[in-house]
Amino acid sequence: MPARTQGKILRLHFSERDRWQGQPLHEAIVQKCREMNISGVTVFRGLEGYGETGEMHERHLAGSDRPVVVVVVDTDERVRNCIPVFEGMITTGVIAMSDIEMIRVRKGLTA
Amino acid sequence: MLTQGPAKKVTIYLNEDTRHHAGALHDAVMTFLMHKGVTGATATRAMSGFGSHRVLHTPKVEVLAEHLPVVIEFVETAAKVEEVLPTLYDMVSDGLIEVQDTTIVKVARKERNQPQPNPAHDRKSGPAKLIRVFFGEADRWNGEPLHEAIVKRLRMMDVCGATVYRGILGYGHKGHTHKSGLLHISRDLPIMISIVEAADKVEQVTAAIEEMLGDGLIVVSDVEMTRLVRSRPEGGANAGAHSG
Repeated sequence: MPARTQGKILRLHFSERDRWQGQPLHEAIVQKCREMNISGVTVFRGLEGYGETGEMHERHLAGSDRPVVVVVVDTDERVRNCIPVFEGMITTGVIAMSDIEMIRVRKGLTA
Repeated sequence: MLTQGPAKKVTIYLNEDTRHHAGALHDAVMTFLMHKGVTGATATRAMSGFGSHRVLHTPKVEVLAEHLPVVIEFVETAAKVEEVLPTLYDMVSDGLIEVQDTTIVKVARKERNQPQPNPAHDRKSGPAKLIRVFFGEADRWNGEPLHEAIVKRLRMMDVCGATVYRGILGYGHKGHTHKSGLLHISRDLPIMISIVEAADKVEQVTAAIEEMLGDGLIVVSDVEMTRLVRSRPEGGANAGAHSG
């Protein structure tokens, strides 16, 4: 029976166009998560959306400005620790956090 | 309304240009069948044909193209066929009427988007659980993509809904980055399935997924669910009670 633990899920919403130190923001965040030993991160790209500024984020003829969601899953403490880091990197966006129960399946680990 | 089981199929062979009062006979027959409440009828113009007049009607010859055959078919209950047959017998002045026994296998009726107002939403709200499952696109289960296998299994378990998301970037405990790029077409992008289900069914769902998942993460969180269900007209006895 895999272990069940309490944890947090963090969702960061911003635009695909956002950059941090010349690099796409979502890539920078994933890299940062690796440095901070966060156990897993997934980046999703939406089809379209809008946020604080009210403008539509969608696919344009040249370039793309679609919404991006970064999902971070880890223990309460580690997720809380990385929030200030993300806050510093995101210029406009939303960070949402919720409680979760984690079930980790690692059957194929030996392969 | 037709149901599965034995029924009658009526086939009427006519000429396209046979008249009935002021209009064409096939038009008159179709109008009559509709007025009588026959479930459905189809009139088909034939490629070519010949009848008791021994003339082959074909569109290839202009003179003969005027008398092309028309076939009208409909399937109805024996009682309904009894009811309409005498009039049809009277109407068809030139042609053939045939009745055969048939078996209805399926009567599927899709609700049309008619201009009538939509029935009110049935709101079902309450606490529920949101399950998110994380794994890779390349993961397989008995030879088929794992995400497809999981969705199929959930469907079989009558789980009310599941959505599969494909990420553009990510890593998990295995540590390798899943990434797609212009020059780098990855076949192992991150996949997330999200499922919303009532709390009492969550154990059953996670157990089923755990069994199929080789390597991955299942995450469960509490959510407040508001489900909007459009009630079907026939089953919507309480649809009027909720206006939303």
